[in-house]
Amino acid sequence: MAGEEEFPLDVSPMYEGERVRKEDMFVELGGPTQPGFELVIYEPDAEKVKDGHVELIGPDLTEMEEGKAYPYAMIYKVWGPEIDKDLEPVIERRNHEFQPYIQGYMHLNQRDEIWVRISKSAMKKGLKSLKQIGRKTIELFKSELPFIQKMEALYITDKEEVEKRLEEARKVYRARDERARGLHEEDVEEFYQCTLCQSFAPTNVCIVTPDRPALCGAMSWFDCRASARVDPEGPNAPVPKGECIDPIAGEYTGVNEAAVRLSGGEYNRIKLHSFFDCPHTSCGCFEVAGFYIPEVDGIGWIHRGSKVRETPIGLPFSTIAGSVGGGRQVYGFLGIGIPYFYSPKFIQADGGWRRVVWMASDLKERVADAIPDEMKDKIATEKEAKTIDELKEFLKKVDHPVVKGVVRPVDGKKITEGWAEEEAPPEAAAAEAAAPEAAAAPTAAAPAQQPAAPQVAMPQFPLLPTAPAAQPQIQIPTTPAGAPVKVILKDANVTIGKIILKRKEEK
Amino acid sequence: MTTVISVTGKGGVGKTTVAALLVLKLVRRGRRPVLAVDADPNSNLCEALGERFERTVGDVREAFERERDRMPPTVDKKLQLEYKLMGVLCESRGFDVLVMGRPEGPGCYCAVNHLLREVLDRIVGGYRFVVVDCEAGLEHFSRRTVRDVDKLLVVVDATKKALSTARRIKELAGLVRVKRQYLVLNMVRSEKEERVLRRGAAELGLEVAGVMPYDENVLQLDIEGRPLTELPEDSPFSHAIDELMGFLAL
Repeated sequence: MAGEEEFPLDVSPMYEGERVRKEDMFVELGGPTQPGFELVIYEPDAEKVKDGHVELIGPDLTEMEEGKAYPYAMIYKVWGPEIDKDLEPVIERRNHEFQPYIQGYMHLNQRDEIWVRISKSAMKKGLKSLKQIGRKTIELFKSELPFIQKMEALYITDKEEVEKRLEEARKVYRARDERARGLHEEDVEEFYQCTLCQSFAPTNVCIVTPDRPALCGAMSWFDCRASARVDPEGPNAPVPKGECIDPIAGEYTGVNEAAVRLSGGEYNRIKLHSFFDCPHTSCGCFEVAGFYIPEVDGIGWIHRGSKVRETPIGLPFSTIAGSVGGGRQVYGFLGIGIPYFYSPKFIQADGGWRRVVWMASDLKERVADAIPDEMKDKIATEKEAKTIDELKEFLKKVDHPVVKGVVRPVDGKKITEGWAEEEAPPEAAAAEAAAPEAAAAPTAAAPAQQPAAPQVAMPQFPLLPTAPAAQPQIQIPTTPAGAPVKVILKDANVTIGKIILKRKEEK
Repeated sequence: MTTVISVTGKGGVGKTTVAALLVLKLVRRGRRPVLAVDADPNSNLCEALGERFERTVGDVREAFERERDRMPPTVDKKLQLEYKLMGVLCESRGFDVLVMGRPEGPGCYCAVNHLLREVLDRIVGGYRFVVVDCEAGLEHFSRRTVRDVDKLLVVVDATKKALSTARRIKELAGLVRVKRQYLVLNMVRSEKEERVLRRGAAELGLEVAGVMPYDENVLQLDIEGRPLTELPEDSPFSHAIDELMGFLAL
């Protein structure tokens, strides 16, 4: 392109989102039928970037046949004193923002699934070369992002060359994703709220962090960040993290403040990685329900759409979801999104995976690669345990951590006592061995068994499946190792037919 | 500016026929591009227009939910959804067809529907006219997956049931944002039938925008499974559509 002519097309944000329909298009680049990608690479050596230069490998527009689709790669090299590798994806993402400014040029999506169309009218207006597009794009980048001081482009329409470089590009994308996956709560300053389902669950406080996706599973921290950039006061407004009160349970001042605001004052404390203490609220549409099983002091999980009908507590997902949803903090239950199983902070305050005793088999299969090796064979499904008794048997057989007491991996603290009263603790065994003399020293043996007393399961109020659906159903969970049980009843009518208090039978 | 026309009514009253002809005539009159939206899982607007579709918006939504957990963390889901939706758009001469497909399965669709709404809004904005063949429950409107309606045409035939469906639609239409609402009388065989229907319309308090005669040509195409593109321009039904469009100032 000797003698730089005027760019023949209008360039303005008003063309953003303009679609080139098939019958109006001159050619298609990339898209569903041809390979295509875009990539921004940071070049640390300023000398190696020929500013404003555009190279093209393969046929140019004038050599293309109308109505056809061609492979397309756009590779940009950038340099600037403030640029580093972490900015690559941020800059790359803007290609989708700037290129659609060009009239008659449609650009969809990002990375290796781009879809570009150039209209017939753009050609009529005098567009001749992809190099013109490249130069205009560089100009847009540099005027909108002045920290880019030097930028060059390599456009490719040659199939073999595009395919070859696509492999390289994919390696770069994968490396970036690895870095993104390594991002945790401690690395960021902001979390995000998600109020997309608040119409169904008005007091729901959905807090999305790099370690905790939304309960519906659809919104990750990255998705919320993208959404917040477009609409900072919208449904995914940022939530400043504030001070970290408890790094293990995941309690932050910023989250607590957001809880008050989002729940209309209903809740003021939320611990993001706790099951038992100030748990996250459960909306109407969480993907997975977790339920405490007091008899074994462990947690079970079942997901929406599971083919498994019955859990060891005797209820299908729908009944559990129906009783705990609606945006409430329900002690003993927790709604989560499937990706949370992959979080390194997964209910870490309560022992993480070591506290999990049961999962619906289809759920266990789906998240198999999230389960730590030490626990893989220790978590029962409906195949091993349909009832509490079968579950107890199974857990004993596999020596599940809950049997002898859970040591939580995050800090090595022992958080549960284990099933002292059933497993016959060493002291008790000793007392039994000493039975012949027991008569002589009964007082010595008795206190030894005392620590087991708080383990006597709280009277279990099973959920009342027969109760009218409109009434809230409550299960009072037992709490670990004798912690006090807090029951709050608001605007409740309590009618009691009969109460039976029973002393636990001695073995 | 995009004008959204929604055609609805009880199943079997011929709303797809009315919708398809509206699309074809708008295109013929140069009011292109037109987007035809098939929002009734039990109907076949796409075939009536002589086009074939491979996948639906519903398929995209389901696939999106399935692939969600495997998507790389930094992939922008909205861009991804836009890309996939563009892929199900069936592009023809002067018009495109979007088939909504089956309704949602169990699970939470709040987030994906929110994205879908934004993307569809953008797509819809690119057309001069959008004609929606919509089931009587107006679900896509109540869920706001499709934007507000400028003209809602409720098609009825000479049956009591069609009129009572029209009454329900009128009530529903109050809940979604509909600017103008009309009744279209279809398969009218006689003046007597027309009188009866007009009386029903008056009771409903709806303006009659057009009277479509019973037309053997339409029936014949239907029987042979041929598209309405083959309906002769001089058939009575075709003329009636012209009058309807005149009334609606299209």
